[in-house]
Amino acid sequence: MKYESQGIAKLYFIAAIGLFVGQIVFGVVMGLQYVMGDFLFPEIPFNVARMVHTNLLIVWLLFGFMGSAYFLVPEESERELYSPMLAKVMFWIFLIAGALTVLGYLLVPYARLAEITMNDLLPTMGREFLEQPTITKIGIVIVALAFVFNIGMTILTGRKTVITLVLLTGLIGLAVFFLFSFYNPDNLVLDKYFWWFVVHLWVEGVWELIMASLLAYVLIKVTGVDREVIEKWLYIIIAMALISGLVGTGHHFFWIGTPDYWQWLGSIFSALEPIPFFMMTMFAFTVVKKRRRDHPNKAAVLWALGTAVMAFLGAGVWGFLHTLAPVNYYTHGTQITAAHGHMAFYGAYVMVVLTVISYSMPIMRGKIAANETAQKIEIWSFWLMTLSMVVITIFLTVAGFVQTYLQRYSDEPQSFMAVQEQLTTYYWMREIAGVFFLIGLLLYIYSFFAKGKEVEAVE
Amino acid sequence: MRETFTKGMARNIYYGGGVFFLLVLIGLTVDTVRSLPKTDNSENITEEVAAGKRLWEVNNCIGCHTLLGEGAYFAPELGNVYTRFGESTEAIKAFIKSRPVEGIPGRRSMPQFNLTDQQLEEIAQFLKYVDGIKTARDWPPNIQG
Amino acid sequence: MNTTDKQLKRAFHAALMSLLNLTVLPIIGFIVLLLLYKKTAANTIDRYHAALGIKLNLLAAIALILVSLLILAVGGFNSPMSWIYMVSYFVTVHAAFILIATWAVVCSLAGDKLKNNDEP
Repeated sequence: MKYESQGIAKLYFIAAIGLFVGQIVFGVVMGLQYVMGDFLFPEIPFNVARMVHTNLLIVWLLFGFMGSAYFLVPEESERELYSPMLAKVMFWIFLIAGALTVLGYLLVPYARLAEITMNDLLPTMGREFLEQPTITKIGIVIVALAFVFNIGMTILTGRKTVITLVLLTGLIGLAVFFLFSFYNPDNLVLDKYFWWFVVHLWVEGVWELIMASLLAYVLIKVTGVDREVIEKWLYIIIAMALISGLVGTGHHFFWIGTPDYWQWLGSIFSALEPIPFFMMTMFAFTVVKKRRRDHPNKAAVLWALGTAVMAFLGAGVWGFLHTLAPVNYYTHGTQITAAHGHMAFYGAYVMVVLTVISYSMPIMRGKIAANETAQKIEIWSFWLMTLSMVVITIFLTVAGFVQTYLQRYSDEPQSFMAVQEQLTTYYWMREIAGVFFLIGLLLYIYSFFAKGKEVEAVE
Repeated sequence: MRETFTKGMARNIYYGGGVFFLLVLIGLTVDTVRSLPKTDNSENITEEVAAGKRLWEVNNCIGCHTLLGEGAYFAPELGNVYTRFGESTEAIKAFIKSRPVEGIPGRRSMPQFNLTDQQLEEIAQFLKYVDGIKTARDWPPNIQG
Repeated sequence: MNTTDKQLKRAFHAALMSLLNLTVLPIIGFIVLLLLYKKTAANTIDRYHAALGIKLNLLAAIALILVSLLILAVGGFNSPMSWIYMVSYFVTVHAAFILIATWAVVCSLAGDKLKNNDEP
């Protein structure tokens, strides 16, 4: 570790992984509720488990992005972090606010939480992924601004690289688009339209800039490929991400009461959205093939390649499956959506954070890579989690096809509940895969503690 | 990658493409917002409907249901429940009111929210308003949502 | 045998045609691939990739067209369930072929054959 302040990332990563475990525990709970409908009812109804699951996901990924930035920015900028103290303080504020929010979801009926947190002053609660009380949202803005300020000052007063500038752009975008979460009009169509300015422009927009820059950083480090080559790829990838994804937002504007032209614009532009992910796959494979060094951290290389592939499959391919309006007309809001969502989030964002952690954790612990046994276990956990996610996605996809046919396409459509009954087998298979995913995650955590033969750095 | 396609060109495509399509998105947004009154049923957003939307939010109905296809996939689509329940706000209110506190054994269960009669009316009016939004191709494809 | 630049270029084109045949240029990609094969000499990298592309796409044709039809025939063309299984199968297997073809493109760019594992 070249700069001492890079070590702050460790704190962020530990929190990230801890919250990740919480997320998956609640995921497994929900999977069981799908097949045992009153499991934990009424103490933890499905919607509460869900908001814990999704909010933990978002918060741990944010911890992961922040940790990644704190690790790579000092090194890229060739200076210590602008304010390590600010980073530490913000860590605790974010963690405590996040923990209190999740506890709020679990311990108190949601309507009561809204009352306690004075939602009526500025009502922003009760929308998907944005369930946080308004005061939490304000806290998130403060944390995000402090973070962007800290990272920004470090980058702008140090050596500027394409990687850090793209990362900074992505992070600023993340902070700016989150502000749309405060706009909650009575008009439901307007509500939905601008809600997507947070969600789509995050995960199919600025988050892709963050992901691409993190991936590029790790690939430079583990392959030794020339920075110029990697930077060119990075520009092309993010160019395609914005060119496709900005107007591609329209694939969320098909059926919510917005003008018909969105069916054309949304379909055409979002059909291009797999392109940046395909390019990331080509990019990752190419630089690994052309590498100039065999980095001892094999696990990190595998995570990097896996990220590109799974992001392409989950976000690109599965996204494409239901992005065209004529198809989406039937599949909108079915298990197809859930299938895509899971693999996309895992492939693109979970895996890129795990890639950075895999690369940086050993370094922060004073070694070039984890010992042989630890890496072996980590690689096992990679396969277990990744293959489990593929299985989850495939079963949800099949469930989604059945649901789409029986409930939407058939000449004699059946009711939602009647159709769900017929999907039970697929949901059980999904749940089993989910349990294996959790086991994979626990194995992943264990890998950080496993002892074995140390690896040497080879040049 | 050919040498004629330089990093500088890639960077310019990123800047140019990004800014251009951001402006396009902004332009389309302005046009969409201007055209919404034709389809968004906003003329029927009374205080009761607005209160109903707030109830929808603070009880996190979206955590189990979809509304115009967006939300959670545990429980039925409610964008067209007003029509599905025979264009009856009374039927909607009766359903919500009748949810058992302990749930239905073995089945996916909806909480009992203990809403007042006034609140039930507000939520039903909200769902009636949503049903009146003119979605493209009259989505959802059929009455089942 | 020394690999010429022309052979390297042809190897890349062959791998690319193989990928395009699997994606946006079916049949056309395959025809171009066959034409490329004819230009190659024995024991060269371009022959390797052209041959690989041909074999991969023939396998894909069997897996994606023949097997899909079989699934429908066995399950019944009118049965929605067999369509569901067929489409699920198609999507997964098609994606797998695309990934393999992409890896081949990357290898051809480096002047390599397909390798199972990289050097330890």
